[in-house]
Amino acid sequence: MTKKFLVSLVLLCIVSLVQEFGLSHVTFFNASPDAVTIFLAFIAVTSDRNTSTSFGFVAGMISGLLSGNMGLHMLARTIGSFTASYFQTPNESHATVNQRSRRFYSAVILAGLCANLVLAAGENPLGVSPLYRIFVFGILESLFNLILAMVLNRLFLRQSLGYE
Amino acid sequence: MRKFSTLFLKYNTWLLFLLYCAVAFLFMRLQQDDVQAELHSGGMEFSAFINEHLMSFNSLFTMKRENERMMRVNTDLLSKVLSLETAAVDERNRRKILADTTFNASGFIMARVVDRKFSDRDNMLVIDAGWRKGINKDMTVLVPEGLVGRVISVSEHYAKVMPVIHPDFKVVVVADSCNSMGILSWSGGREFLAQVEHIPISSHLKLGERFVTSDFSTFSVRGIPVGRVARIKPDNLFYDVDIWLSVDFSTLTQVLIAPLKTKQEQTGLTGYTTEKKTRL
Repeated sequence: MTKKFLVSLVLLCIVSLVQEFGLSHVTFFNASPDAVTIFLAFIAVTSDRNTSTSFGFVAGMISGLLSGNMGLHMLARTIGSFTASYFQTPNESHATVNQRSRRFYSAVILAGLCANLVLAAGENPLGVSPLYRIFVFGILESLFNLILAMVLNRLFLRQSLGYE
Repeated sequence: MRKFSTLFLKYNTWLLFLLYCAVAFLFMRLQQDDVQAELHSGGMEFSAFINEHLMSFNSLFTMKRENERMMRVNTDLLSKVLSLETAAVDERNRRKILADTTFNASGFIMARVVDRKFSDRDNMLVIDAGWRKGINKDMTVLVPEGLVGRVISVSEHYAKVMPVIHPDFKVVVVADSCNSMGILSWSGGREFLAQVEHIPISSHLKLGERFVTSDFSTFSVRGIPVGRVARIKPDNLFYDVDIWLSVDFSTLTQVLIAPLKTKQEQTGLTGYTTEKKTRL
């Protein structure tokens, strides 16, 4: 349990760095995929609620440190993780792979939307209207996140983190 | 207590979430108010305050040495100020003498009065020019206002001057309008009043008339103002005349020394010698 927690923590750090210095520069229509949200959704689905919320908090701290707006990112990631944890699927449940995957995708979309909502309310660097930002960028980002999550789910997640 | 712990365990997820949100809000608040920067600057100020007081405390031990150093500096500065002030006063007096357009000071030696002895009987001046500057015995000492006295002894750098207000001083004077001649002397008492003797009662001397030195004098050049008639008292054969002296001896600081009058042949004829105590 501790080993898994530590590995997840290290992975979170790596993903945060990759997101900040890599994926955030890959933009489509001013929106970019968010690997941290996907990772947090995965934690939310596979872990309990407290762990998920804590990971969200830590992820927000790291993102905040790297972006310079710590408080807002902590709040956004915490709320995103907390809401995503509604789709938690315990290991002992009898859910099929497809059900788990759907819950994981739902968690990704919900976490992304919540985080975008909070971030849109707190900061607006492009100067667009908050509604436009929430619904257009939020949906676009959620879409990109969903695509990336599906790719990652197919390639890595099922094997490496014990879905099967 | 049990209910509380039950409640806590039941809603621990929500509590944790609220705690995280509160921390996030706290960070946002800190960021908005620049509290971190304020804390940083406050810390710096506190550190500077402590360092300053530590330095002050340390300086208490070195206060005595610092006071001594400041005293030395003050002494040096005071010495410089005094020196400059003295030089300024000397220069002012020198310019005052040279500024008198009615009096040509070229050819005269300028000197400063460095010592004086005034009393109601015996007065003497010391000037800071001696034989190195060309001062000789019996030279006339004067200021643009009038006659001061006569050099009676000379050293290398200083000379002693017998002023007009000395009982042994005598000089031949002449009234500049009626040409009546007499011998000026001072009999003590008030330093601004001298007496002129041997003026014949037949002369037309008037009050306020000016007396100047005569060419008959063995040491003084002629025409130096001496004073004005203050009182005329007729005697049997001569007038007894009091004159206001031209020179204010109480404010004398700079003087001029006239070149020596070369009248060896004249003095030889009249029978006066340089060794004689009193010269006219």
